[in-house]
Order: sequence, then C-alpha cells, then structure tokens
Amino acid sequence: MRAPETLRYEEAGDVATVTLLRSHINMKVVRELTAVCDHLEDESEASFVVFRGEGPDFSKGIDFSEFRHDQPMDIHGFNKWEKICLRIENLPKVTIAAMRGAVVGGGFQLALVCDARIATGDAKLQLPEVHLGFLPGMATFRLAKYVGLGRAKRIIMQSLSLDAHKAEALGLIDEVVYNLDEGVTKTVDAFRPVYPVTVQLARRLLNESYGTAFEYAIGNFLAAQHRATSQSEFLATVKKAHSEASKGQ
Amino acid sequence: MLSIRPRILSVGTANPPEKFTQEEVLSRYKAENPSVRAMFSAPFIRTRHLYLPPADEEGVPTETQGDLLRKHRAGAMQMGREAVARCLEPMGLTAADIDYLCVINSTGFMLPGLTAMFIKHFGFRTDCHRVDVVGMGCNAGLNGLNPTASWATANPGRNALMVCCEVNSALYVYEDNVSVGVVNSLFGDGTAAVLLRADERDEPKMAPRVLGFHSHIIPETWDAMHYSWEEEHGKFSFNLARDVPYVLGSHAHLPVKGLLDRFGLKKRHVKHWLVHSGGKKVIDAIKYTVGITEYDVRHTVGILRDYGNLGSGSFLFSYARLMDEGTVRRGDYGVMMTMGPGSSIETALLRW
Repeated sequence: MRAPETLRYEEAGDVATVTLLRSHINMKVVRELTAVCDHLEDESEASFVVFRGEGPDFSKGIDFSEFRHDQPMDIHGFNKWEKICLRIENLPKVTIAAMRGAVVGGGFQLALVCDARIATGDAKLQLPEVHLGFLPGMATFRLAKYVGLGRAKRIIMQSLSLDAHKAEALGLIDEVVYNLDEGVTKTVDAFRPVYPVTVQLARRLLNESYGTAFEYAIGNFLAAQHRATSQSEFLATVKKAHSEASKGQ
Repeated sequence: MLSIRPRILSVGTANPPEKFTQEEVLSRYKAENPSVRAMFSAPFIRTRHLYLPPADEEGVPTETQGDLLRKHRAGAMQMGREAVARCLEPMGLTAADIDYLCVINSTGFMLPGLTAMFIKHFGFRTDCHRVDVVGMGCNAGLNGLNPTASWATANPGRNALMVCCEVNSALYVYEDNVSVGVVNSLFGDGTAAVLLRADERDEPKMAPRVLGFHSHIIPETWDAMHYSWEEEHGKFSFNLARDVPYVLGSHAHLPVKGLLDRFGLKKRHVKHWLVHSGGKKVIDAIKYTVGITEYDVRHTVGILRDYGNLGSGSFLFSYARLMDEGTVRRGDYGVMMTMGPGSSIETALLRW
C-alpha cells in the first residue's frame, strides 16, 4: 500500500487503526480509503479496524471546495462515496468508529456502516445535508434501521444535532466513554473471539434483516448456518460439549 | 506465437412451445400430497416450458421409458434446431459454417448421439468435428465449454458451436411423494447454443474472451445426485439428496479462488456472475459462501423463476439476459459457475 496522505494506517496486534488526518472528506480521501480496504482485504491479518479522527473532530463531512457551481453535478462522485461506504460495511474485519467532536455528514455515514460506535461526551452527531439542499447519502437507507423511521425523519429532515448522550439513548452510539483509547480496548475485547466467516455471515444477515421477506430470509439463514457450522470453530465447540458431557457422567 | 483466447460471439436459446405455471402442473395430474403441493407453490419457480404428456382418467401421466426416450429425441431436435438458428442467424452464419460441434446432454441416452442427428437434419457439413458430452448433468455446460474453447484456440478463425440440449421432462417419474416432487417441481426443458471463435478480427465486438477454467469435485458426495434404474417404475429416475445444495454451495468459494488466483484477480474485480439456476437452496448457499449479493445472482434467480432448472444450458440463459440488459462494459470480468452431480462445481473466467 502506498503511504496515504489524508489518512494514517497503523496495525498493533490484531487491531488496525485508520485515522482521518483531514477534517473533511474529499475524493482523495475516498481513493485512499479504497487502497486501505484493498490492503485490509488482501493482506492484513488484523481482526479489527478502528476509524478515528486525528484532531478534535471525527469528521466534518464532505469538502465542497472540490465541487463546481458552474457545471451540472456529477452523480458519479456520490456513487464512489457510497461504494467505499459499502466496502467498509462488508470488510472481513470487525469495524469500530471511535468518535469525538464533530461527527457530521459523511463522518456520520461512515459511523453508520461500522459494526460498533463509541464516542466521548463531547461528540456531536449531525446530518445537515437536507438543510444544505442535498441528501445525506445512503444514511437515508441505513439510519432508520438504527433509530426507527420517525426519529430518522427528524434527524435527517430537521438536521438535528445530537449530543453524545442523546445519540446513545437513541441507539446510535453504543457507549459514551470517558477515554477513547480505553473505550476502543474495551469494545475490541467485547467482540472476542472473532471468527471472521461467522462474523461476516451474522453481519450480512442482520444488515439484510429489514429488506428481506421471511420466506427468503429463512433460506438465506439456512445457507449461512450451513456455512458457519462447516467451520472448524463450530466443530471445536461441539467436541468441547461432548468432552464436558462425558466428564459429567 | 501467443495464442488468442476465443470469444463468445453469440448465444441462442429455445424451449418447448408449451409453458405451464406450477399450479397448472399440479392440477393437470391431480397431485394431492400436501408436501408436494407446498413444494410446487413456493415462489422461487413460477413457470416452466415442458413436454408434458396428457393425464389418464385418474389424472396420472403415463409414459413408459420408451415413450420418454422418444419424447427426448423429438424435443431435442425441435429445441436444437431453434437454438442453433437463433445463435447463428445474428452472426450471418448457417450450420454449414460450423467446423466443430459439441452437444451436451444428460436427459436421454442416444446412440448415435445428438451431434449425428443434428448434422443429418440441420445442415452441418459432413466434415464437421463432433463431440457428445453425455451424462455429466447440470455442470456439463462448462465441462463442454472448456474443450470447445481449447479447440477454438487451436484453430483460429474457425467456428466452434456448443449446444446444451436438455429435455428434463424425459426424466420424470410420476409418484405423489416428496422425493419425486422435488425433481418434478424443479426441472424445466431448454436448449442453449453458444458460438465460439478465436479471431483477432472479432476484437471490437462486445463479446467476452473465455480466459480459463477451474474445476472442483467433492468425491465423498458422488452419490448425492444420481440417475438410476427404478425397478418398480420400469424407468430411470433422478434422485437428489436433501442437503446436497448446501454442501455444493459451501465448497463454491474454492474453485472461484482457484480461478481468480491464477489470473491475479480478487472477487471484487468480478462484475458479473453467471451462476447455474440449480435451485433456491444452492443459489442461497453460493451467495453466502462466495460472498456475492442478490443483485449478482439476479439473472440466475430470474431464469429459475421463469424456466426452472434447465440443466446444462441454464447458465447460458443467464448470459443471454445479462447481454440483453446492456450493463456490461469493455474490460469487465465475469465468472460462470455450474454445479451438478459428482458432486461438481465448474467455473470459467470471462473478460469483455
């Protein structure tokens, strides 16, 4: 992987950390996130990826200075952003957004595609797009799954700014923490042990849960369960149960 | 000299003229077993084109093994003629332009085989090379495409035609029970013809090159899908073990990885998936094992819904739908995947 300029990528033990060095997201950030995803999928042995912001903020969202006001808008750029969000959502790792300060627009969207969200008490979450005359990407699709349709309408259509505790009460943040580093360690430990195939299957079924009719979802589940139970981890679980049962007799 | 990989220049498909909804098949034969009725009413298959016999006064079809074989031959000839014409006409070719003919079939034993019949009746030249791939089941389309592509590579500029021709209704045994119900509710009749040629002059066409193949067989499940003689019915009968779709699916990532590794590709580089429409369960299992989406299998699912499992040519029906859709771009990679008895998974890599 070429050294990124807008991000810092580090691995410590089985935890990879991606730190956003700029307060805003532009196409360069998208390209560098894509290279990070290539590395995570193809080479990295890490079980976790933590997304953080370098300064006092997580991310203030899209940088509009790259946009032209004298030309028709290029929807392709928005699609590129959605593609990288989808890739992060499907990474073969457990993903954690560790947030503080401003979590705005694209930053908020990035948090929604992670498996876990923690934040310090100073975090402020907002999707201001509708009040700026555009749409908050596929947060329009994902947000209601976290908070319900009514709340999602308020957050998106009123561009509500939510403080960390309010966001926690809504289920948008899993936990408000005093110290972000300690919070990350605690969250990582809560996910252990990580069996990558099982984790990905569980996440995929959960992500599909609101959009699939039961008669299709049950077929998907059985296929996924067959895959999960063919893994050595499940066989070890079964063997252990047998040996414990024979000890008990 | 670097050999040129062949391109898929055209695909033509054909089905029997009569189309049935699942409900029409049930009421035609007065099936009463609730489990069989439930199987037919699942939403994953809606219609199938079939050569179905009339019912007797008790609502039961009566076909001897001899009837089935005659039906097979007539159906294969009818569909074969149409599929070959639909494949060749858009290219301005006729059967006389074909230098190599490979016919895939598993639904009725013939000797001489279908290539000999096709040459006799469809206007192929008498010096046309021919190969019959028989008895390899649903995966056989790719087992046949591999040598067809190799022949095309070895004979640049010459026309190789492969025809997957399956009259699955010639495998039907009538009995109002679940194991027969699965087979009779799943399989449909269909034929697909595909034209391959390795020729630099074909360069500008939206025709993908067939870059390579990768196979995988699961020998411990060799009898999970089999065709065998049923003494009590006096017929051959096709049997499908209950969990084999999941077992096949859970191995599907292995040949995909083998195929992509050889070309230095990752799954994310593959834009198009042309998976055999084997049935709901095996498609689900492939989605979750290979890690592809409902969108990736949209044509696989669509062909299953509209035609049922067509056997060896099914993936070419999906290919035809993909090409009609107009979403393919130059440079895109695609993976073809077929699954069947053996138990076997075959894959091929395409590049447009």
